Amino acid sequence: MISEQAVREINGLMEKYPRKESALMPILTLVQRDNGNVLTREDLKDVAKLLGVTTGKVYGLATYYTMFNVEKEIGKYHLQVDTNIPATLMGAREILRHLEKVLGVKAGETTKDGLFTLSEVECLASCGTCPTIQVNDRYYENMTTDKVDQLLDSLRKGIMPEKEDGSRFGTVCNVLLKNRGEKNASSLSVAKARGAYQALAKAQGMKPEDILAEVKKAELRGRGGAGFPAGVKWGFLAKDTGKPTYLICNADEGEPGTFKDRQIMEYDPHLLVEGMAITARAIGARQAFIYIRGEFEWIARILEEAVAEAKADGQLPDLDIIVHRGAGSYVCGEETALIESIEGKRGQPRIRPPFPAVAGLYGCPTIVNNVETLSTVPFIIDKGADAFKKWGFENNYGFKLFGISGCVNQPGVYEYPLGVSFQELMEAAGGVKGTLKAAIVGGLSVAVLKAEELKDLTMDYDSCAKHGTALGSGGIMVINEDFSIPELALRTAKFYAHESCGKCVPCREGSHTLVEILKRIVAGSGEAKDIDTILAICSTMRGLTLCPTGEAFSVPIGAMVGKFRNEFEALIRA
Amino acid sequence: MRITINGMACEAKEGQTVLQAARANGIYIPSLCYHDKTGVAGKCRVCVAEVRDMRGLQATCALPAREGMEVITNSETVLQAQRMVVDLLLSTGKHDCIACEQNGMCELQDAAYYLRIERPGLQYADVQPDIDSSSAFVHVDRSKCVSCGRCVAGCNEVVVNEVLDFGRRGHGTSIVFNADLPMGESTCVQCGECVQLCPVGALTEKKSMGKARSWETHKVRTTCPYCGVGCQLDLHVKGEQIVRVTGVEDGSPNKGRLCVKGRFGYDFIYSEDRLTTPLIKENGEFRKASWDEALDLVANKFKQIIAESGPDAIGGVSCARSINEDSYQMQKLFRAVIGTNNIDHCART
Repeated sequence: MISEQAVREINGLMEKYPRKESALMPILTLVQRDNGNVLTREDLKDVAKLLGVTTGKVYGLATYYTMFNVEKEIGKYHLQVDTNIPATLMGAREILRHLEKVLGVKAGETTKDGLFTLSEVECLASCGTCPTIQVNDRYYENMTTDKVDQLLDSLRKGIMPEKEDGSRFGTVCNVLLKNRGEKNASSLSVAKARGAYQALAKAQGMKPEDILAEVKKAELRGRGGAGFPAGVKWGFLAKDTGKPTYLICNADEGEPGTFKDRQIMEYDPHLLVEGMAITARAIGARQAFIYIRGEFEWIARILEEAVAEAKADGQLPDLDIIVHRGAGSYVCGEETALIESIEGKRGQPRIRPPFPAVAGLYGCPTIVNNVETLSTVPFIIDKGADAFKKWGFENNYGFKLFGISGCVNQPGVYEYPLGVSFQELMEAAGGVKGTLKAAIVGGLSVAVLKAEELKDLTMDYDSCAKHGTALGSGGIMVINEDFSIPELALRTAKFYAHESCGKCVPCREGSHTLVEILKRIVAGSGEAKDIDTILAICSTMRGLTLCPTGEAFSVPIGAMVGKFRNEFEALIRA
Repeated sequence: MRITINGMACEAKEGQTVLQAARANGIYIPSLCYHDKTGVAGKCRVCVAEVRDMRGLQATCALPAREGMEVITNSETVLQAQRMVVDLLLSTGKHDCIACEQNGMCELQDAAYYLRIERPGLQYADVQPDIDSSSAFVHVDRSKCVSCGRCVAGCNEVVVNEVLDFGRRGHGTSIVFNADLPMGESTCVQCGECVQLCPVGALTEKKSMGKARSWETHKVRTTCPYCGVGCQLDLHVKGEQIVRVTGVEDGSPNKGRLCVKGRFGYDFIYSEDRLTTPLIKENGEFRKASWDEALDLVANKFKQIIAESGPDAIGGVSCARSINEDSYQMQKLFRAVIGTNNIDHCART
């Protein structure tokens, strides 16, 4: 049953967006919140009626995103344990086993008293502070079995403990993380006292084409993962279409091993808002969106507050920014899937061309940039492209956030110039725990490198490419000798199979089939030919799928099997 | 414009995709998700090809043909990719052809035949049939579904009944009726458009089950007898028996679409109760008569009424099951022969 109060809120949400269908995800979030964390079929039917869309569409959307609990039994406290690769490397499996033991339920089950539901979930972008348990909307990080017991005690008393901030960081560039250690830097007054909105003031005195020219000159490459030059992307915008231009900030941060954007959004949101305002001016957008992963509920609130503060301060005279929460889908980090998601659809990628710069959100010219990319723009405008290019080197200019997780002593986010050596980053992160075996350096979607390959690696686009991997999002996961690659390969495959949107066949059934084969191998019932079957699937997958997700899993799994074949063979012989 | 496919020069029209051009030139490229009526989906990835000066594989369904384009569909790279996609489908679904209704007209089977895939090679988990037989006329087996989306697009965009959609995601993706109701409990009106668009055996006609193999039937094209729209039908006939009815895709006015009656309501023609001769009522009882006798009687009565009371004493109501041409003849008869404008149509009254 949807309450009258909720109907009023729903009407407000529908008016907030250029098209009311975009309100579908926020509406479902609201209805679910009011409804004990579940959605019934009746709710879906009611929402469809309110919004004027088909029930099938609402059901299809609600069952696409993992954060919507359609006809599920969810306890008062939903304990969601991230067990993705960084988490596994940092002890999350032990936390999950402990929870199973003390609660007497398996992952996916609810305790008899209806108090707790235990779930195993994918990467929560909390890799530097794993093990992490998300309880309803709140993250509890750096968990130990003792802390789990304390948390459960408190929850049994009906008290949700406050979130603790235990994340580590370091910076040698002092740009993206310059306010990271500052108290209340998310407030406008503190941010402004530390220089926020100076670049915007400068940009407001510049012609849009001059802003674009400066960013082009800086050769800023997109920090989301693909590394496409931001200025060039902006230059692709269709002109004189008679349609509005949209700017979207991709804050979906879902690539396992990546937890950098949240450092900016949580601790220095005005830096992002300023970057968006400058970018919007450069591309002529009057409406912008921040598409933030749904689990970052508290960060979404910080951003909304920052936008409101900036607006009240007169910083955004001709720009509206809507903070739009996702609801649990990795593929929504792909820009066309993200656009579909804002349009109130299942987050499935579109066929390209047309590219978003020509026909994106609502069929209008759209630029999608990552949080870090947009947050770099104020520096470029304020200090100039030349100052930016003092960091890094040709084709690899600037500073970058590196998220370091896994088997290191001081996991965290570190801001370094591109070209920093892998070795130096390991030292920044307190050194490797145990004996270094391998590392995945650009988020989970890139090829793993063995210890000997890492010796002369520098963290930039070119060196990574030369080493047969990619800089990606700069999420570095360090693996030591305690871990079995086949088990990590299986966990990797499970992640992609779980996240495959299901639209195209090779990704949908290929990821599923890889899980089945790897399960057999890890269970010790594999056959020799299974290894070659995996490699054949992985190599044929490349370039075959509708979006880059096919490569996102075929590359890392192919590399794990190819480079550590002996470990897979040992399991088959055993 | 001219393009070449596997070295063969082909004529392609402006606006055509490579897949459309290949089909128009009689070249087979396996594909599942594309249908002329539902358009480009680009999602099955079976129709991929190599194109000179383009990087990687291209989905030909989504690739506009361009002058001079050189397309290769028979290289080992292409065939290997196509084989993997088709094998993945065969291996992760329950595609047992032997007793499948779609055998012989299945696009997945055609692709497997073309690619010489004798049996699934990537089967690592058991697949169970996933049947919904709640609908009166449509048999649903989701274990044979390839999620091509033709039924969903057809339901929402062609017939606009807005019942079907996709639910869940990844390998768990499946078609759903409304909020995942059994088909028979959904708002489906059983027009059967989804059945006609389904390339595989996931959506089939219940009434046809076990009646005939596809190659035992021949098609008889006719006009639907139910209403005045004049939908074009193909009757699939085995011996003297209709075993299936489909809409004629390239026939106007319906372009393949049918309603529940036209598609599934064909049993009446075999009814024992059908009239086989005219009947004349005398003393409250019907008796059989010849056409000549019956028509003479009617004509004479009409003449008598006109002579006594004038032509406006007669009115005609045309049958909604008549085709347009018959309705035209009917009004002509009344206006020109009888001399009255008292003519109407039963669907209007």
